[in-house]
Amino acid sequence: MNSESNESTLLQQVRVINPIAGADRIADVLISEGKIKAVDFNIAEFSQDTTIINGQGLVLGPGLVDLYSHSGEPGYEYRETFSTFITAAAAGGFTRIGILPDTDPPLDNLGTLLSLHQQKQKLSKTIKQLPHLEFWGAITMEIEGKRMAQLAELAPVIVGFADGYPIKNLSLLRQVLEYLKPLGKPVALAVSNCELKGNGVVREGVASIRYGLSGNPGFSETVALSAVLEIVDAIGIPVHIMRVSTSRGVELIANAKQRGVPVTASTTWMHLLFNTNDLSNYDPNLRLEPPLGNENDMLALIEGVKQGMIDAIAVDHTPYTYEEKTQAFAEASPGVIGLELALPLLWQRFVASGEWSAVKLWQALSTRPQLCLGQQPTSCLPGHKAELTLFDPQKTWIVEKSNLESKSANTPWWGKEITGRAVQIWTDRD
Amino acid sequence: MATTTWTRRHILSLADFTVAEYETVLQTAASFREVLSRRTKKVPALQGQVVANLFFEPSTRTRSSFELAAKRLSADILNFSTGTSSLTKGETILDTAKTYLAMGADIMVIRHQHSGVPQAIALEMDRLESGVSILNAGDGQHQHPSQALLDLFTLTSLLDTDNPRLELLSGKKIAIVGDILHSRVARSNIYSLTAAGAQVHLAGPPTLLPKLFLEILDGEQKDKLYLHWEIEPALKDAHFVMTLRLQKERMSANLLPSLREYHQRYGITRECLELCQPEVKILHPGPVNRGVELSSDLMDDPRLSLISQQVTSGVAVRMALLYLIGSSK
Repeated sequence: MNSESNESTLLQQVRVINPIAGADRIADVLISEGKIKAVDFNIAEFSQDTTIINGQGLVLGPGLVDLYSHSGEPGYEYRETFSTFITAAAAGGFTRIGILPDTDPPLDNLGTLLSLHQQKQKLSKTIKQLPHLEFWGAITMEIEGKRMAQLAELAPVIVGFADGYPIKNLSLLRQVLEYLKPLGKPVALAVSNCELKGNGVVREGVASIRYGLSGNPGFSETVALSAVLEIVDAIGIPVHIMRVSTSRGVELIANAKQRGVPVTASTTWMHLLFNTNDLSNYDPNLRLEPPLGNENDMLALIEGVKQGMIDAIAVDHTPYTYEEKTQAFAEASPGVIGLELALPLLWQRFVASGEWSAVKLWQALSTRPQLCLGQQPTSCLPGHKAELTLFDPQKTWIVEKSNLESKSANTPWWGKEITGRAVQIWTDRD
Repeated sequence: MATTTWTRRHILSLADFTVAEYETVLQTAASFREVLSRRTKKVPALQGQVVANLFFEPSTRTRSSFELAAKRLSADILNFSTGTSSLTKGETILDTAKTYLAMGADIMVIRHQHSGVPQAIALEMDRLESGVSILNAGDGQHQHPSQALLDLFTLTSLLDTDNPRLELLSGKKIAIVGDILHSRVARSNIYSLTAAGAQVHLAGPPTLLPKLFLEILDGEQKDKLYLHWEIEPALKDAHFVMTLRLQKERMSANLLPSLREYHQRYGITRECLELCQPEVKILHPGPVNRGVELSSDLMDDPRLSLISQQVTSGVAVRMALLYLIGSSK
């Protein structure tokens, strides 16, 4: 769909979600010159060349924000290229997306980051609706958790600091957090104790015993999380906890927040939709890191998002090739794709079922991730830049190659019909 | 030959095996045991069918047993093992299975060091509507159905040679001792023995026997499973004792202090067998670490050990399984 910034679009009778105000109502929305010109029950005044979209049954909200995902490129172009990644993000309704630094070479140096920024500029000339790409700079060199990257040098060109992997050396972590204080950038940490995790590939519990898969105990997460929370409390720098996956983890974060520890947290969309009871078929696409929780973990995470203890839902899009994923469960690389699937499947599971309001889901996918990044949340009020996602919650489609922009197919929904699809995004890029 | 209709295409796990299926396997195995006692030990049951043994994990004993069983049924046999394979060349498990499908395999017998591989291949074969049957010959720490079924056949045959059936084990106390956590044999036996109405007592150190095992069964079967971290209550008045192979690498994973201490606390010795019923018998899926899980002299005592009967039963039971899934095509 064409929507260059000098063009006007009128969405008639669309369901507008305003997560900041907590509003959800039907309205006409006029978008012109990259801005939201008007939001009203009935807009009668618009220029003749305005494209009119019948918005009945469609949902419009601020653009979705994915805190962290894996781009593939550079280094893993056979999984996903920069270009397929961006088109997949746009096709999934995401207007902002954080790219994790575990590329090859990793995003631990200015040179690689600058070249990616250049590449982004080039793509913006060919792709009209380009989501805002943001890069997480590595905390440690080579993401090895051994020594600090050139943190201050990276700061101006990144959204924040994250390795995406646990930093084992707590003394190093402490110094990193101290050092980052004056830089004013978000810090995101993955928490897992590697020794306790051992060779575990699923969350320890009845299912791990029944299915004969090596268990990774829930306390491998919470032991590491407790340590991080203690350090953050002492140092006082805001930290985001990535991929919370256990019920006890939710509890620890809630307690820390209550005590005023400057912490925010996210879980991934997959951890809200599946648990270890779903592993009976050994689908390698359900092998994740951290692993899927037991049922009580999943329920606590759902409640955590609902109550706000868990601030945001991340996609953590992790493309892998057929060869990398078509393995014994324990040997398959952990992770799934999700950019084009997260919104419809979360909507179906939580909003269509009536468990959450649409506002609640939209907050967890747009407003609150931005707050985690220290950004001003995108508004869908008149006068603001048009950074919007239009979603059709009724559209059914089959998850297959011809319907996906992503280059990889590692998802448990492959070949299945799902309901809901992002229609279009508007990104007003500078 | 048993006439009961058999509808199961794949034998992947005993978790959902029905009583009728167990009985059919026992009866069919008894018929084949009779065949094996004849001068001509071969029947044309699977003539023209291709059985592919896909052993991704090395195994001599189970593979030989399946191979002999298939030969006795007059099937054509293809053998695949990782030593001779192209898996190292980037082929996926499904590629391997599809290669054998293309060669016309009707039944694939699959052994893999990781749990779930036979399931994954079965799903793919069904997706392709190939009609191929998958027989799990041991997957990771998950299941080893043919082993548990041959154990069941060994035990019930001991109690009634001509008519082995589940009810013979009702109320019998069976101790399973050792590294339960890593054992696919124990996981399969827990289902079959409790289905037969036996009281199954698991015993082992807490590191190799998490309490979670008590929760893997549902319904009535759940009440037939007991868990002990000391060996004595498990052996007390037991009719049968099954010990499991202890992998030496458990030591390096800090699950046990030493083989010596393990043998002292959980090894089966003549002395500790005095706690059991006087006619107690010992089973072991093999291969045995002599002097670790089982005293060397016990293994060779024909009054106590059922180990060689297990091996013999194995061929009849595997013939039964191949026959049942092969002839239901």
